[in-house]
Amino acid sequence: MDLVISQLLTGLSIASILMLVALGLAIIYGVTGVINLAHGEFVMLGAYCAWFLQSQFGLGLIASLIPIFLILALFGWVIETLVIRHLYNRPLDTILATWGIGVMAQQLIRLTAGGELRYVEMPAALSRSVSVFGASESAYRLFILALALALFAVTWYLYRYTSFGLKLRAVTQNRDIASSFGVNSGRIYRATFAYGAGIAGLAGALVSPLKSVSPEMGTTYVVDAFMVVVLGGAQSLFGTVASSGILGELSAFLAFHSNDTIAKAVVLLAIVVLIRFRPQGLFSTRVRA
Amino acid sequence: MTPAGQFAIRFLPYLAFCVAILLVPQFIDDAFLLNKYARYLVFAILAVALCLSWGYAGILNLGQATTFGIGSYCMAMSLKLGTVPVHTGSEGLPDFMVWNNVTELPWFWAPFHSTTFAIIAGVLVPALFAALLGWFMFRGRVTGVYAAIITLATMVVVNLLIIDQQRYTGGFNGITDLAQFEAAGFTFDAYSASTYYLVAGCLCLTLFVSYAITRSKTGLILQAIRDQEDRVRFFGYDVALYKVFVFAVSAGIAGVAGMLYTIVMEFASPTFLGVPLSLSVVIWVAVGGRQSLLGAVFGALIVTGTQGALSESETFLESWTLIMGALFVLVVLFLPKGLAGACELLVQRFRSAAADGKASEPRTPVATQPESAS
Repeated sequence: MDLVISQLLTGLSIASILMLVALGLAIIYGVTGVINLAHGEFVMLGAYCAWFLQSQFGLGLIASLIPIFLILALFGWVIETLVIRHLYNRPLDTILATWGIGVMAQQLIRLTAGGELRYVEMPAALSRSVSVFGASESAYRLFILALALALFAVTWYLYRYTSFGLKLRAVTQNRDIASSFGVNSGRIYRATFAYGAGIAGLAGALVSPLKSVSPEMGTTYVVDAFMVVVLGGAQSLFGTVASSGILGELSAFLAFHSNDTIAKAVVLLAIVVLIRFRPQGLFSTRVRA
Repeated sequence: MTPAGQFAIRFLPYLAFCVAILLVPQFIDDAFLLNKYARYLVFAILAVALCLSWGYAGILNLGQATTFGIGSYCMAMSLKLGTVPVHTGSEGLPDFMVWNNVTELPWFWAPFHSTTFAIIAGVLVPALFAALLGWFMFRGRVTGVYAAIITLATMVVVNLLIIDQQRYTGGFNGITDLAQFEAAGFTFDAYSASTYYLVAGCLCLTLFVSYAITRSKTGLILQAIRDQEDRVRFFGYDVALYKVFVFAVSAGIAGVAGMLYTIVMEFASPTFLGVPLSLSVVIWVAVGGRQSLLGAVFGALIVTGTQGALSESETFLESWTLIMGALFVLVVLFLPKGLAGACELLVQRFRSAAADGKASEPRTPVATQPESAS
């Protein structure tokens, strides 16, 4: 029994990190249709911000979350203004351009912060383990899980119950008609991109104590996050949650029964098959035109 | 202009390019440089492969390195067995198998004793692999971004499997300490003009075969599919079949490039199937011009050449990736058709300026000529 629960918890922990990374990606892709290959680098920049704020200003991880969100949102805002804005009618080219941005961000960090691994300290209050139904789990991982769910709730509230969310949904459905009703679609897109980038930054900051921080850390996340978005369906926020849950538990289960490599390969294969037969994702009823 | 004249004008640059690369060893005697240039030419072949599927059929293959890697491993297996009496443990096994306690040669290694088999496998295995994957994707009408993600995911899977099956593939280290490639009693030293000629010859052949495909009726239909897939389907063409065909041809070419890469570099490694290489190919083709075979070749040569030169010089050692990234973003933003598109634009401007000069002539003929057929 303990084993089952600890397996489930491991899966949930993987899932919460997946969800944090994928949420920003899903918002950006779902609303603007931009495939943001630089998303992993946004995550990486968030982690470096956490490291920088901690080592230079002695700011604790939790205190630095809001500044990190703002810094990355600003970064996303600038990127959108300079590059992405010009590519909305060429979706395949956004893959290329954002990849170029990602390469630049990686190299910039390597030049300024150095290529060696960095470590961010866990908040002291959370660096112990708690017992959940008899299985012990690190408090910090549970904290990430709670925060991921909270972030999702905030995003969902924004999406569903604010005037910004209403405009956002309108633009998603039909940009031209929304524009002709006076919605400033350019600004909505920019705000969306900034918000997605900010969340990616938070994800990076939150995972930084769990894994070492390096300029290349983003690339591992971006593929996984993409799979979550594809599996969940780009239009559906709930799909993102559900699919990160599925993928997290599945990887934990497969990793337990074989090894990490095979687990990853099987999950990817399953996703390939899924895209083939249900390209709109598991939890979406509508396909983006 | 007569059709024959137009054909000559289109064809001439290809001919000139082939003559130029075949003449290079006449002027360069440095074995190290020749090896480096041969490597660039291999990348050019890979760029042609992607240009066929992406530029002409609109299939953005983010996993082009999969088939490149498969070809490369086919050649490496054969060349590894070529060394067997030297780099071996007991009973003629490759060294890394001995380290992994493999006691007998796996069945799929055995046929690679024959070089001919290896060469055929190096083309056919990638082509079959791509045909299967293509059939799987295109029968289900998977297009655009989703095709890109499937190819990317498939590549990661193959890469993981190769790393995982260390006993049979050498794992992370790949297959190293290879023999030199021998064909028809002739040995190709990686650091000599012979290998350069081999690669350059293959590039010329690839260019002409690809050119023939793009000029054929099939090529025309492929371009129509790229521009308006549904309309082609309504005309009664089997869209999926055409796509599978070009996908497989592209994979076969990538397989050839992979084999040549192993001959030039003298090893095979899982990084050959990596995401970085795959995306680099996309960059070369995008920079050179995705709708021009020669453009793609120049894109590969220019980008890898600059990369090589910048990473060797002291001042740029640290920042060349930054410069490449910035350049790439600028090309995507401002030159969506790449350098080839820019050249075409220049030629058109030049022609219409020339036509303006002759004031008595009406300028319509120039403007209405179907120049942008490619």
